[in-house]
Formats: sequence, structure tokens, C-alpha cells
Amino acid sequence: MAMMDDRPRQVVTVSLLTSRLDASAVLAAVADSTAGGNVLFVGTVRDVTDGQPTAALEYEAHEPLSRAVLERLGAEAASRFGLTATAVAHRLGRVEPGEASVMVAASSAHRREAFAAAEWLMERIKHDVPIWKCELRPDGGREWVHDGGPDGGGRS
Amino acid sequence: MNHPTPGPARLRVSLFAGMAATAGGRTWDFDWQGGTVGDLRRRLAAACPEIAALLGRSTIAIGDRYAGDGEPIPADAAVAIIPPVSGG
Repeated sequence: MAMMDDRPRQVVTVSLLTSRLDASAVLAAVADSTAGGNVLFVGTVRDVTDGQPTAALEYEAHEPLSRAVLERLGAEAASRFGLTATAVAHRLGRVEPGEASVMVAASSAHRREAFAAAEWLMERIKHDVPIWKCELRPDGGREWVHDGGPDGGGRS
Repeated sequence: MNHPTPGPARLRVSLFAGMAATAGGRTWDFDWQGGTVGDLRRRLAAACPEIAALLGRSTIAIGDRYAGDGEPIPADAAVAIIPPVSGG
């Protein structure tokens, strides 16, 4: 996942993985000797959603479009906040409660920009990146989540 | 190289998440004589009224970018319906 090349600034790393996310690897992807502030956000799956028990979540993505959008967002965050590097890792497939579904890292010379960029990136990811989650219920029910609320057809 | 026999142009549309569940499939092939994203929306809604409500809240992507309703769609384009996202 590390992307070492001849571009010392504004490295953007994007990973879509069906295996467990690795916080150390995501942080390593933004590490740089010029960056004094390194922020890592970890989003984890909860076992309850709106009062309903969740057995697990299942994530699906339009992968080529997700990569393209995430790379654009990473580059925009880098220039908007003057970052050294950004990294986004998103889990796909079934994710159990307590496991990480998303990680966002930002590094900058100083901490404020890195904190602000990580929050900005998470907001954009939730609005712009074609990734969807399906709530898997303990009784075997499935509900795709669209726009913060389940949309009828996803039930089965 | 072998060239396929010319036939009516086809357009393959990819569906995801609740849209695929409602439509009962992940890809949908259409005869396509050309038209815009808006034209495709009307074709999809007419072919499968069950998806019309969610389609109305969806964005259409051509290749690796989102497209507006006025944009033309070439027959060889990779088109996807993007319902409201819920990643993170």
C-alpha cells in the first residue's frame, strides 16, 4: 500500500480491500519526514443501527469509479489543506461489528491541517464515493442503505 | 482480428446495491441508437417501473465520472446507475 515514488509531496493512496484494514499501513502511506502532524480516522461497524440489531454490514462498490473519485478527493484535500499526503482505505464485502470499515489518514507539516483534512475527506466520502452498505440482520434479513434510510427494494 | 457481425448497437448498464436487488440483476443490456443520459433514464424507468423511485434519486456515471442528464451516451460506454451512496 505504500506508494514511494519521485513525488515527494501530495501522495494520494487509495485502497479497496476485502481483507481487514491495517491502520499501520494506512499511516505508513502518509508518513514523510516533512510531516509533523499525522491524523488517522478509523470508522468501525456498530452492532446496532437506529435501535435495530446489526449482525454485520456488507459493502459493495463501483470499484473503478470509487478509485477515481477517491483519488480526486485525495488530491483536492491535499491542495485545499496543504497536505503532504492522504490515504483512504475502504473495506468491501462482509464486515463484522467492531471491525474497521474505513480508514482515512492525512499528514501535514502541522496538526491543524491534518485534522481538518481527515474530517473533510470523511464527509466527502460519505457523499461522493459509490460505495453502499447492506445491513445484515440477525434474522437473515438484508437492507441496502440509500440516502441514510433503507430503500424498499433492497429487502429480501 | 475478427470483427463481430454488425448488429444493433447495445448498451450495457451496471446496477448496484438496492438498485440491483430491485431490478433482479446486476447488468442490463439495451438496444441503443444513441441518446442522452436523460433518454436512458426514461428507457430504464419504462422498462422497470419498480426502480423508478430510486432511479430518480440516482446519478448516472459514464466510465469513471458522473454525467449530467444532457450528456450523450455512446453505445460502447460503461454506464452505471449510482443510487444514493452509504459508504464509510
